[in-house]
Amino acid sequence: MSLNDRETSQLRGALQEAVVKCSERCLYQSAKWAAELLNAIPEPTSEPDDTNPSQPGDYAPAVLAQNADPEEALLEAREINKYLLAKSFFECREFDRCAAVFLPDSMLAGVVTSKEANSTPKGKGKGKATATSSRSTTAPKLPQLSQRSLFLALYAKFLSGEKRKDEDTEMVMGPQDLGTCVNKQLLTISRYLETWFDQRKDEDGEDVDSQGWLEYLYGMVLAKQKNDDLAIYWLVRSVHLFPMNWGCWLEMTSLISRIEDLNRLMQRLPQNIVSFMFHIHASLELYQHDGNLANSLDQLINIFPTSSFLLTCDGLLSYHAKDFVAAEQAFSRLLSLHPHRLESLDHYSNILYVMNSRPKLAFLAHLCSSVDKFRPESCVVIGNYYSLLSLHEKAVQYFRRALTLDRSCLSAWTLMGHEYVELKNTHAAIESYRRAVDVNRRDYRAWYGLGQTYEVLEMHAYALWYYKKAAGLRPWDGKMWMAVGSCLQRMNRNLDGIKALKRALLAESYYETGSSFGSGGSGPGGLRGAHMDPEILLQIASMYEALDEEDDAKAYMEMCVAQEDGSAGDNAGESITIHNDEGSEDDGEAVGPSAGPGGGREGTGVTAATSKARMWLARFAMRNEDYETASRLANELCQDGVEVEEAKALIREVRSRMDAPAGKTTPGPLLLDLNG
Amino acid sequence: MSRFLTPAKIGLLALIELYADKAVPTSSIVEVLSFITSHLIDSDISGPAGASRGHWKRAESTVSLVISIADFEKILSPHTAASGMPGRSLWYVFLDRLWKINSLDALHEFFDRRSDLLAKTKDELRREAEMGVEPPPADAILLSRNSPFGAFVRRAQLEFTRLRFHDAFELWKDFVRYRQTTAAYYRKKTPAFQRLSFDNVLLEGEHAWGEGVEAVASVAYGDMLRDDPNSTLPVSTDDIEKLLEFQIEQMQKYGNRIPLEIRHQFQDLLHDSFMIPSLSHYLSYLDAWRAGDYSTSFDYLHRYFDYTMQNRDRLFYQYALLNLAVLHADFGCYKEALSAMLETVSTARENRDMTCLNFALNWLFHFGRAHPEVTRDLESNSMLGTKKESLAFLRSKAKDTGMWTLWTSALASEAKMNLSNGESISTALEHMVRSSQILVERNMTGVMGSQISLNIALWDRLGVAYLSSTFCEVFLRCHAKHSVFDDELKVTSRIASMLAMRGKYDEALERLESMDPNSLRSWKPSQYWHKFRGIIKLRRDLHRNNLDGAEHLLSQLLQNKQEDLEPDLAFAIDSLHIDCLVRRGNLERAFAKVEALVSELRDENKDIALRVRLLLIKAELLDRCGRPQKGFTIAVRAANVAWRARLIPYLWPAIGAVSNILISLGDFEPALQLLRAILPRSLECENAAMIAKLYSILGDANMGMAGKMAPRSNKRREYMTKAVEAIEKAFNHYSSVEDISKQCEMMAKKATIMRVSGEHVLANDYAAAYLALRKDAAQAET
Repeated sequence: MSLNDRETSQLRGALQEAVVKCSERCLYQSAKWAAELLNAIPEPTSEPDDTNPSQPGDYAPAVLAQNADPEEALLEAREINKYLLAKSFFECREFDRCAAVFLPDSMLAGVVTSKEANSTPKGKGKGKATATSSRSTTAPKLPQLSQRSLFLALYAKFLSGEKRKDEDTEMVMGPQDLGTCVNKQLLTISRYLETWFDQRKDEDGEDVDSQGWLEYLYGMVLAKQKNDDLAIYWLVRSVHLFPMNWGCWLEMTSLISRIEDLNRLMQRLPQNIVSFMFHIHASLELYQHDGNLANSLDQLINIFPTSSFLLTCDGLLSYHAKDFVAAEQAFSRLLSLHPHRLESLDHYSNILYVMNSRPKLAFLAHLCSSVDKFRPESCVVIGNYYSLLSLHEKAVQYFRRALTLDRSCLSAWTLMGHEYVELKNTHAAIESYRRAVDVNRRDYRAWYGLGQTYEVLEMHAYALWYYKKAAGLRPWDGKMWMAVGSCLQRMNRNLDGIKALKRALLAESYYETGSSFGSGGSGPGGLRGAHMDPEILLQIASMYEALDEEDDAKAYMEMCVAQEDGSAGDNAGESITIHNDEGSEDDGEAVGPSAGPGGGREGTGVTAATSKARMWLARFAMRNEDYETASRLANELCQDGVEVEEAKALIREVRSRMDAPAGKTTPGPLLLDLNG
Repeated sequence: MSRFLTPAKIGLLALIELYADKAVPTSSIVEVLSFITSHLIDSDISGPAGASRGHWKRAESTVSLVISIADFEKILSPHTAASGMPGRSLWYVFLDRLWKINSLDALHEFFDRRSDLLAKTKDELRREAEMGVEPPPADAILLSRNSPFGAFVRRAQLEFTRLRFHDAFELWKDFVRYRQTTAAYYRKKTPAFQRLSFDNVLLEGEHAWGEGVEAVASVAYGDMLRDDPNSTLPVSTDDIEKLLEFQIEQMQKYGNRIPLEIRHQFQDLLHDSFMIPSLSHYLSYLDAWRAGDYSTSFDYLHRYFDYTMQNRDRLFYQYALLNLAVLHADFGCYKEALSAMLETVSTARENRDMTCLNFALNWLFHFGRAHPEVTRDLESNSMLGTKKESLAFLRSKAKDTGMWTLWTSALASEAKMNLSNGESISTALEHMVRSSQILVERNMTGVMGSQISLNIALWDRLGVAYLSSTFCEVFLRCHAKHSVFDDELKVTSRIASMLAMRGKYDEALERLESMDPNSLRSWKPSQYWHKFRGIIKLRRDLHRNNLDGAEHLLSQLLQNKQEDLEPDLAFAIDSLHIDCLVRRGNLERAFAKVEALVSELRDENKDIALRVRLLLIKAELLDRCGRPQKGFTIAVRAANVAWRARLIPYLWPAIGAVSNILISLGDFEPALQLLRAILPRSLECENAAMIAKLYSILGDANMGMAGKMAPRSNKRREYMTKAVEAIEKAFNHYSSVEDISKQCEMMAKKATIMRVSGEHVLANDYAAAYLALRKDAAQAET
């Protein structure tokens, strides 16, 4: 996708307008986003001013935007003084005072009570009927305000409520911090907006000249009240009216918890460049990574080559695909382009953490700290660094600081949970994970952490629930399935466990072969040449053993041993069948028999798992009186230098058996038992 | 600013590591180790070389180590490294270590690795054996955990873990800057060195980031990469506190002020440390006090205790009062001082702070001795009891609580009291010996000054001037550098006054001039010093008969006599004043002054020696008036008192006065006998003026005897020869103290005797010599 000059300048104009409008309404973050994007468009090489002589009006400072609607423009002009006053108050963070410029408290209270009087005694249908008649009575109560001023006033009210809520919550994870504190202004605002929208509805139930901002606010308030569907409705309306308000898109993102929801929503959205970005962003939030996404991101990057937002997306995409090197490079480039920018550096620190790159992480922490040490991102980065140094108390301290600065800082909650797990403080860990999940239900790491913690507490049923949640969020992540599998094993549900583990094997191979599977990951891709984790194989085998299915157990044990030299093809004919487990919340994916002869993959070498498998096989051979094999395997064990004593004992026994007449077999198992 | 860690400390850690890695060759180990140790331990091992330079050297070295890495270079570059490439200096190896710390993470690692230097505890050893970790080789150098190095390493590690991230990276930045000065040197020896080598992450990022690396670096390091004029010195609270304590200790121990340059350096450091320890107010207080700035010192004292009182639970209230009282007393506000000290006593009692209480009581006792007029009311109220009682109380208390300083000072005070009351010398000596025993047992070098001063005074009173001057020399040579500057000053002035007694004025002044100028910056010592110099000059002027000059000096000295706190100094000035009046011939005023002094002394119950001296002056005055007989009782009383109190230097003049009276009565024979008895012993006192006087009396007595003999008899000639001999001796002694008028008198006497004996030529010669003397004196005057 590339734009021609006209489109580019249109886009530029739209973004400029967005910046001005957002900052008029004190939506600083959205304004920043738009402005960043605006500056990421490469400047045209030839100056357009050369051809058309400039008009003096072109250079007028664009502090305030013209309103297209004449009625609104008139209102805005009339109340410009008050508006400027209110805006200054807002900028001084005196939110209540700002709101009171346009909406005195007494009037707001009046709106709330009158609405209650109207709505409570009557039914729903009746209320609608009376709405028209009562317009004359309630109308005078709403002052004649431009939408801009109204938005500013209500938004200020909203923020003052948020601020008070944060203050009431007191310390992070303190006695008051139970999530019981609510924003007390939400009710007022939603009542007011409801009335306002009611009044402006025309006959079709559509309001005529709304400009999208109040819808955004209403959607936000509804989202806070956990009225998700209605919130989405209003937010979608808002983006239709004014697509350049990134805050609105972000609100929408936070309301989507599944990819299907996103796909469904996309059909209701306008088709423009911002919705395109939204799609990418939301997909990334849902941990998607596939070729289409990468493609569309590349196209966008063509338009905005230096956009920090898109570069972040690029890095995250690689991160989700577990391509850490590429992700690290993307973030590193971002850092060099925008060294003062702190946003999303917490993701970068996660990547560096996973890569165990201590010097770089230290440098990043240093950089963040020197830019601003009281930003949640900086604190998270520093916390990650301390976590990498195994200084868990300090890490917790910094995560807490991040949370004090911003309670909705998701990664801090999750990471703090991890640290508490390290500190063996399971209760605190569970609480932090829970808070993380409450902030963002899509965070698989928090779910997984919860599962782990409950597993530590030996509450497997609970753990299983959380693991399943995590696996549902990341169906192609083997680690999740492995956790589910081992949890099931502990609960003695071996059959289910085997299923889960087999999925884990499949998922592992999915990453190995990259994104060739296609978007859904549902293609019948084989495990060709895939490297399988011997641990999982061993686990599956032992479960089969527990189910007394010795043949299957043996097969898996052999596969496990075969991982040593990587030639999975030696045991040709073996195959892994992934059962269709409809019970899982994931859309079922069926993988046919596969595991053809392996390519020249490198093996894992001797590991503890393979040695155990070998030992098992040797004993199995003993039991089945296949002394040749047993002796061979035991010798191999001796060569590997693992469990040498036991292996030697085995060899001795094999010799004695081979020497002894076939009748005397009784002491064998006894001896084995002794050794076991 | 961090609490403890600074780049310099990282350097020390690296150096310790070098030592543990055996990179330091055997020949230079001692030097390197003593360098490290001198920065770790607060020992006061000042070399024998400098009295006052040595005192402050430690502060200087601490400051210079904090400020720049050059100190390491100085100590390390002469040595070669024992390992690695041959020919590399230890300095290079050290720098290599420092430059290997090439990122913030490496700094963390560096501190992590510090524990490898330490010997393992048993637990750790067991654990490691379980885990199969190889124990370190037996010949590795490991620091035991409680050794000075081990403690330092552990403390450094602990402090590093305590750092918040922000502080850690500030430390890192400071370290980078501290190290940067060595970049040029290191680059020469290391080909791989690059501009961004100070941070490896930047260096590696240079490929990926290209131009962007500049931006990233400037965000990360801020102004540090450019030359930032506002940059601060990397100083830690620990350094500041150490320096403060050191300075305060120095000031309290030696009583002198901080040299200017050290003070400036310290102010620079303090300026860069965001936290100013409250102790620094105390330092300012001490300095202002020493400088004689009354109001400023009050201000700082209050400020200090305002800051410290709040967090320490009133524990320091009595000390605040104590300081206040001492300050008041020092500036001459005795009433306020007394009330503050009494409050100290009651507060200390209330808080059960025995140390403070004892100190306060001791102080009060001394204060009472020095200013009886202020404490008189108290004594009658018997709040403190009589002196004897309070001393005994103090002594037993000190013994109980093990306050050795107090004990010795109580004993010394008792000895002093014995002496000044003219009681038994042996009791006084006993006390002195006991105090000296404690002093030697406990090695209290600081109290040596007062002990030796007491010894000096004792021998002085016993008339053995030689021993007393020997003690002075002993003190100056052996103990001066451990004791308060005041002691040194007093002893030096003592020597000077002894020299002046023998007429060696120039030498005396030279002695005084050679005192340490920095120590004289303190207000009180400098006052004392100036006055003492004035006194010596005054004495010289009087003797040279330069009365105008003498009066000029006197008027200056008498002016601030009121605030003069040293009783011996005040008395010296008074006696010289009387001498001056006498020389002017104003006997009436001289007599009135003596009378006033006598009554004053009687009231205040002062040192018996002073009373004797006044009696002697009075007798001499009467003699001058030509009525020696009137002074008979006075002279006899003086002799009696001096004998009883063994005040030998005053006994002889008293006897001299008695014999003079005898002479005036015509009893030449007994006078002669008396004088013959005392003259040999009086020579021991080394007081030239007194000896000269005695000889001149001897001459008079002999002359009288000659008069009694038959004219032209051999006896008469014999006596006259003796008289001439005596007068000759008197003349010599007078000329050694340059006393012109007495010299003339002696010359005149000699001429007269010659004339009587009929030797006119000689008589004429003597008369001519007399005139020459006069003329010389007149010339010298103009």
